[in-house]
Amino acid sequence: MPEGTLCNKLTVDTKEHLDSLLADKSGKVYYKEMNDLEVNQKALWGIIQKTFRSRFKTWLEICAHCGLCAESCFHYTANNGDPKQVPSYKIQSTLGEIVRRKGKVDNDFMQHCMDVAFAQCSCCTRCGIYCPFGIDMGIMFSYLRGLLFSQGFTPWEMKIGTGMHRIYHAQMDITTEDWVDTCEWMAEEYEEDWPGLKIPVDVESADIMYTVNAREPKHYPEDLAEAAILFHLAGENWTVPSEGWEETSLAMFAGDWAACKMQVETVYDAMERLKPKRMVVTECGHAYRATVLEGPYWAGRKSGQTPVESIHYVEWVAEALRTGKLKIDPSKKIKEPVTYQDSCNYVRNGGLGHFAREIMSYVAEDFREMTPTKEHNYCCGGGGGLNGIGRYREQRNIGMKVKRDQILDTGAKLVISPCHNCWDAIRDMEEIYHMGIRWTFLKPLLISMVEVPEHLKPEE
Amino acid sequence: MFKKILFATTASPTCDNAAMVAFDLELKWNAKLFVFHVLGLPTRGYSPFVTDSRTGETESVDPDYLEWVEEEMRNTYDKYLEESDAEIDAVVGNPHREILRKARAEDVDLIIMGAHTREEDIGATRYRSVVGSTMQKVAKAARCPIVIISRPCTTCWKLFSHILVATDFSKAAFSAFRFGVKLAREVKAELHLFHAVDIETLNNGQISSQEEIEEKLAHARRRIDKKYVPLLKGVKSYDIEIREGTPYVEVLKYAREKQADLVVMAHHTREIDPELALLGSTVEQVVLRASCPVASVNHPDKVADVA
Repeated sequence: MPEGTLCNKLTVDTKEHLDSLLADKSGKVYYKEMNDLEVNQKALWGIIQKTFRSRFKTWLEICAHCGLCAESCFHYTANNGDPKQVPSYKIQSTLGEIVRRKGKVDNDFMQHCMDVAFAQCSCCTRCGIYCPFGIDMGIMFSYLRGLLFSQGFTPWEMKIGTGMHRIYHAQMDITTEDWVDTCEWMAEEYEEDWPGLKIPVDVESADIMYTVNAREPKHYPEDLAEAAILFHLAGENWTVPSEGWEETSLAMFAGDWAACKMQVETVYDAMERLKPKRMVVTECGHAYRATVLEGPYWAGRKSGQTPVESIHYVEWVAEALRTGKLKIDPSKKIKEPVTYQDSCNYVRNGGLGHFAREIMSYVAEDFREMTPTKEHNYCCGGGGGLNGIGRYREQRNIGMKVKRDQILDTGAKLVISPCHNCWDAIRDMEEIYHMGIRWTFLKPLLISMVEVPEHLKPEE
Repeated sequence: MFKKILFATTASPTCDNAAMVAFDLELKWNAKLFVFHVLGLPTRGYSPFVTDSRTGETESVDPDYLEWVEEEMRNTYDKYLEESDAEIDAVVGNPHREILRKARAEDVDLIIMGAHTREEDIGATRYRSVVGSTMQKVAKAARCPIVIISRPCTTCWKLFSHILVATDFSKAAFSAFRFGVKLAREVKAELHLFHAVDIETLNNGQISSQEEIEEKLAHARRRIDKKYVPLLKGVKSYDIEIREGTPYVEVLKYAREKQADLVVMAHHTREIDPELALLGSTVEQVVLRASCPVASVNHPDKVADVA
């Protein structure tokens, strides 16, 4: 059975394997090898028989082809109503076909499925709330990604991402030492301006265990410092775990189910080891979905819950502002029109939209909702891993037009975007479409507006 | 005094003047030199793409690309590298952050930079959300002195004869003063200790009377005599000057009068919005306009031995 050296059915479990993938610029060899990758039809059908849930079976069968999902999909709208972008068509012609053919599909078809599953669906699950039967195409596409992954059909960047998780238990090459050192470094750098600032590592029984996105310690450690400053100002008793601090899951985007389980278990282990009262997740959308919403099922937790109560950063901020732990200086509230990008993963899938509005009521004088908004809001255009995949750059840029127009229609020049993925998409959008907007996470914004208690101010 | 030096370069002509100084310091002080370039800004979310800091193009960085950039750097500095053992390094990241990371990892004694702000660069959109210039952020957080070189500096540091230290009596300025003293002792230069009484920004446009100004000048003089003068032992010669006016203008005028080879100041902008500080801080104005290098010292770590 022909297998490439880079593109194959193996998972990436060693550093050598990972490095060989990284050395293949833009996955050139990888995608070339993919053309010769043979589909193990028996194995594919085997995995379907074991994992294809009755819910999916029902969904595929009861679809009435009514087309009501069409306009719910931003890809459909952005591509001028191309019928090939109707969600029900997209899933029926890919996953539906594989099931109907009992796994007897060829290489071309698998590559086609991969292109549809990654470039034409960001798994935003918006179609699911517009289907009269509640058929959720996004969830089924996530499942399809898993089938594709098992046969080696996954975008190059996703294969690398899963390798990172398998080797480093993080989406980037950060070791425990790197992480702990970054915590020390940030406390050291910022304590002069914020006397008493600490980033406590591995403190047991803290009120909050804070977890992050690996891009933060890797490239943007200020984010960690900002989180520390806000916890410090709010007087929280908090900690970060030395291991199990990574909340994201590229394995979820890629459909590497084993790595999904492996990754969330590191976080759950940290919870069980440190026994915090609660866990707070950084400003990241898919991280929340992976570790808080889906993770308990991946890990086979009977309760369907994380070991301790886990909340998203927006929930913590809303609570801190509500209870007065953080107070906003009224003169520093945002005066200009401002809008909010609802991340699909914690707003539509997590139901946290009202916390975002609560925060806006404290910090903004002229808050403008996008249309549609909250759980009906559209994907930023780069979700589901799409931002990170070179092969589908063009399709992504077309899809972004929907978010672009939504933002422009609000008249706001400032977009608050507490999700790494949305943040990137909005930045790229500005670069491509020159809208004249700015965008920000919550943390730097809050630090610029919050009242600093006298005893926490630096001496001079 | 300088065992390890970090030259943070854009690897473009903006840094040519700084390069000359960096390689000269390596030789004269027998120091270990790190030539360091941050080549591109990564995304916030997962992605292998970075925006190349010189071209503004989107690049997918792999080991070959890094090697190619390092090769380019070697070509740029080939004439210096003939007699240098500098370590060449190119990395991906947010420029100020990676410079600070490297400085911390190697525990360097000095950082040298060109006066490069991002505005002239093509990839500017990406940097919009990274408020403030690289230099400002490095100057604020670095534990060692940083020297910014924007104009040709042909005098070898060992031959420096006039070092100007400008103080505003802050804690950070005291570190700057200690660095000035340390260097003046080592290269046997004259030290010119300077303070400008700010008569504009402090009084919100109100005009101070001559007596008030003179009282402020006298007060500053007493502070210098008490806090600074006892530490001037071992300095070849020194003088003290206090003037009133707009600080950066007075610093520049005095630097010119004394034909200073180096201006040493603190960089502290805690009270000021970083976006405003970009234009407003005294050190930034001095850096942009001075004809000599400007050293910014904000922390005591590397100068604590001057007591």
